[in-house]
Amino acid sequence: MSLTILTAYDERPDGTGDLVYRAGGTDLQERLRTTGATPHVLDLTGVPGFAAVERSDAGTTLGAGVTVATVARDLAADYPALALTAAGLATPQVRATATIGGNLLQRTRCWYFRHPHMSCFKSGGDGCPARDGRHLYGVAFDTAPCVHPHPSSLAMALLTYAATVDTTHRDGLGVGDVLGDGSDPSRDHLLADDEVLTRVTLPPPAAGERAAYFRSISRFEAEWPLVEAVVRVVRDDAGTVTTCGVAIGGVAPVPLRLGAVEKLLTGSTLDDDTIAAGAHLATEGASPLPETGYKVQLVEATVLEVLERVRS
Amino acid sequence: MAHRLVETQPQEALMELTTTVNDEARVLDVDGTESAVDVVRDGLGLTGTKLVCGSGVCGACTMLVDGEPVLGCLTPATRLRDASVTTVEGLADGDELHPVQRAFAHHDGLQCGYCTPGFVVDAVAFHDRWRAEHGADEPDGPSREAIAEALAGHLCRCGSYEGVYRAVAAACRGEHDGGVGEVERVDAPAKVTGAAVYTTDVVLPGMMHAAIRRSDVAAGTVGPIRFPDGVVGLDLLGDERRVRWAGQPVAAVAAESLAEARRIARELVVPVTTHDFVLDPEEAVRPGAPLVYPTRGERKAAPSAGEGGSMPAPWDGNRHGPSRSPFLGTLAKRRVGAARAAGRRGLVELEFHTAAQLHTAFEPHACVADWTDPQHLRVWLSTQGVDLMRHAIADRFDLDPAQVEVVAEHVGGGFGAKLSLTTEATSAISLSRLARRPVRLVLDRHEELTGTGNRPGSRSRVSMLVDDDTQAVKALVVDTDSHAGVAIGNSVAALSMLLYERTPRLARDVDVVTNAPPGAPFRGPGGPTSAWSLEQTVDEVAHRFGRDPIGLRAQWDGNQKRQALYRWASALPTWERRPATGSQSGRFRRGVGVAAGNWIYLVDPDCEVVVSVQGGHLVASTAAQDMGTGSRTVVARAVAGVFDVDPSHVEVRLGRSHGGTSHGPASGGSRTTVSLWSTAVEAATSLRDRVGTDLDRAPDGASATAKRGGDRGLRAVPMTMNGIQIGRGFSAALHVTEVEVDTRTGKTRVLGVHGGIAVGRIHAPVLARSQCEGSIIQGIGLALYENQVLDPHTGLTLTANLEDYRIPQLGDTPEIDIHFHEEGWDRVPGGGVGLGEVATVSPAASVGNAIFNATGWRPLTLPVRPDRLLEGLRTEVTR
Repeated sequence: MSLTILTAYDERPDGTGDLVYRAGGTDLQERLRTTGATPHVLDLTGVPGFAAVERSDAGTTLGAGVTVATVARDLAADYPALALTAAGLATPQVRATATIGGNLLQRTRCWYFRHPHMSCFKSGGDGCPARDGRHLYGVAFDTAPCVHPHPSSLAMALLTYAATVDTTHRDGLGVGDVLGDGSDPSRDHLLADDEVLTRVTLPPPAAGERAAYFRSISRFEAEWPLVEAVVRVVRDDAGTVTTCGVAIGGVAPVPLRLGAVEKLLTGSTLDDDTIAAGAHLATEGASPLPETGYKVQLVEATVLEVLERVRS
Repeated sequence: MAHRLVETQPQEALMELTTTVNDEARVLDVDGTESAVDVVRDGLGLTGTKLVCGSGVCGACTMLVDGEPVLGCLTPATRLRDASVTTVEGLADGDELHPVQRAFAHHDGLQCGYCTPGFVVDAVAFHDRWRAEHGADEPDGPSREAIAEALAGHLCRCGSYEGVYRAVAAACRGEHDGGVGEVERVDAPAKVTGAAVYTTDVVLPGMMHAAIRRSDVAAGTVGPIRFPDGVVGLDLLGDERRVRWAGQPVAAVAAESLAEARRIARELVVPVTTHDFVLDPEEAVRPGAPLVYPTRGERKAAPSAGEGGSMPAPWDGNRHGPSRSPFLGTLAKRRVGAARAAGRRGLVELEFHTAAQLHTAFEPHACVADWTDPQHLRVWLSTQGVDLMRHAIADRFDLDPAQVEVVAEHVGGGFGAKLSLTTEATSAISLSRLARRPVRLVLDRHEELTGTGNRPGSRSRVSMLVDDDTQAVKALVVDTDSHAGVAIGNSVAALSMLLYERTPRLARDVDVVTNAPPGAPFRGPGGPTSAWSLEQTVDEVAHRFGRDPIGLRAQWDGNQKRQALYRWASALPTWERRPATGSQSGRFRRGVGVAAGNWIYLVDPDCEVVVSVQGGHLVASTAAQDMGTGSRTVVARAVAGVFDVDPSHVEVRLGRSHGGTSHGPASGGSRTTVSLWSTAVEAATSLRDRVGTDLDRAPDGASATAKRGGDRGLRAVPMTMNGIQIGRGFSAALHVTEVEVDTRTGKTRVLGVHGGIAVGRIHAPVLARSQCEGSIIQGIGLALYENQVLDPHTGLTLTANLEDYRIPQLGDTPEIDIHFHEEGWDRVPGGGVGLGEVATVSPAASVGNAIFNATGWRPLTLPVRPDRLLEGLRTEVTR
């Protein structure tokens, strides 16, 4: 049978060829249709706890199959930066089906990778045709052989919480450990072929946290970001920032947490000069491609946008 | 780690699952990789659910699973197990439509209807949720923003978004709880219930499925293709063996299933010797550039991107042209040259660039051919011309036209790309002949976005010289290079000659051919491209001399119908309160722009309509088709008016070449309504005069036929070609558009558009408005988002999905106001002409002028994406 509906993460059928795990399917089904591939599908949706949200004093644990819509709705009070990011991605129908695990581990949206007649690092080839081809939606921080940004918006938001990830093989991985740094351009994440992401754990909610998310796109909605940014802050009674997380996406091989910007903002009252400096600092180290110079300006604009929003 | 082993069945086995679909228990066999839309359409035959993008972007395949809307293309079929599924066919309660379906029909929230099932299903879920949450507390219904957010996952290429807003809000207000109200579009009920049958829905017994193998190189010579034993295959290259663009069809194969056909096509060995190729039009005209058509014989076979063939013009390498449209052209050139040398203020010279815009009709090119009876070929074809295609097929396959029947009951959009006989049809027909079985060939979205045509990109240089004191036009010179890939026959510059003053002027149109996919006619071929440059140049003249852009046009324009539109537009509050250009300094800057449109008047004098009485009912027949533009409705209203009955009491039979008439108009060139209306009126009148209006007493089968004929003594050119006669006079349009530019993020939002359309009498006002709204939406796409992108190293199309090829969404839709000026066409039978083209010419240019008014920076290159706008504003500041 070309399908196994798993009842446990580590269950594997015997005697089969290509295996592929499936959660919501919003990425996989499209690729199966385009390529005509017929791998053996290991469907995860029947695994107990797959879509569970568990809260405890130690934090909040999300099963890999918690949907993006659930994150947007149920975590809005406790983890607003994550929830706003979830609410801002894709479309209502995709959010209702797509999962947090799938969002972290989805494959790149590069138009070369998705093209049935193109070969690249990520589709089994040995080069990046976008690099000296067309890369309008490519990276502005050119730090890896593949020049398309990682698509996971939720990974960007999770970075600001220092969330951890459990897999069938390992516990307590950072999001950065899962995604790597892009230096292996064949991979969108560093999990082993038979390793399944099982849980995402967030630290306990920060009282008084405020957050803002913004995605720079050309149309109204439902578009992959040119640049996206998220910020979460906790301020004391005087308005001084005591805790702060800032991250950007759509611009680098993996989402970037902006430690230097966070440091600048922490201890400030988010006055105009500081947030302008913070937004500018966000572009530090940018190394755009021929067609992505505009993204450097957009990084500054997008970070400024979320900083203005979070203080208002 | 230890794996628990589970028992597995052989690979071939399918999973059997039970589900409830539209309240009926069903058993489905699914495999692990299938999606819900596949089993619902192919397994259950519920073809109301449509597959368009296949990647979760457009929402056409939306169905309810346990009451929640899901995307049929991304939802694994296995998720339907033990679920309750509702498709568009299951929304109505018997004959009682759901209030949302009624609202879509009443407010015309649809055109071709192909995306409609998805919209309706999701809108039902939104409606039910919204009313449960808000009920009577919010009598105004949901806001546009709320509707846009809820339906963000839906796209409509016809641009019926205004109707969608109206429909969803009205349904939520409870306005359709009691009944549907008046419905102008006579086939709307079929489209909102999923009953309308499109070519992609046709299933014949014993049908095979076909797939096309395409070239993945941009230039090459293909050796012999050997098909595996037993495979029904077709070599599409003929004797010439050349491929000239990546994506060009090379071979077609038929098999028992679509998956099998695709696999065979993919694995086919295609020996190819690659050649040098050129994609960049600037490189193509350099000495030594690879020639797309090295020989005279090959040039003759170059496809045309224009409507009705191309004018003869000389070739020079990859340059074809120029075609000249002069009026004292030498004088115009001399005046411009002298003004340039003298640095005259009255000379405005600008260079514009446009990008190729893809049609992407939501029903892909599709054909089901049945040639099992050698004497009779039946072809279901998604086409804009059933009669045109009948003759084209007969010609191509050496048959008598009487042996060929073409059927297109409903057509899911065309926009010009379905006016000729293309590969999906010729392949399906030939394969059916080979296999002696019906064969179906449906392009996927990737193919549709690669190889079925585009509005070509271009570079235009405009020189306009006006008198320094009076701003009278002294000369106009327009040079356009069109970039239609391997196609020729573009007329862009020539269209610039038709609007303003009879002064010396010269237009030169050149086709620069490259190894890019061919262009094809697209609503108002050349029109929006021409307006983008001409109307911005006019705007620049007005700006330079401090003139009101409407007043300046009014000074120049001899078209009385457009003069009426200038008077209407000048009084619009939007126009009166427009800011001074460059006067704003904040982050968000608003601006208002105006642009004029012009189009020729075409008619099909051979158009025939038969009206008959059958069983006490009126039946009107013609060999036309309805691709959402409303020909069915037009005929029904014409006949109903004569008999003074409700149009719903007239059965209109069209979409069949054997529909009872020998000829019907194609849907193209804005000639359908003007050809059908008066012909239907004449046939109906003649029948009424014979049998009276009491149909129950009329002899059963009584009928009358009428033929349109030309406009006597009033045609501009005394000949008819391919059912087209050029009539006298020009239709006119004017668009006044307000935008808001976010100077921080580079995003332009169109806030409102006033569209003035002067085509005389409007025969179906609701549908006419829908079509004009759609042309504005498509113009916004052209202006801001749409951009075909090719890989420079292979020529492969990168924007081959609806994620990367970005068309306007519901939330991008401005408030639209359509004004019809109905006078001035009294000499045409019926008093009005077509509007599909003229309405589409000026919207994009008006957006450009509005951006200039808002920012002081003039966008010369399409589309005005955020990156271009940010760069433009940066340059403007430093200048």
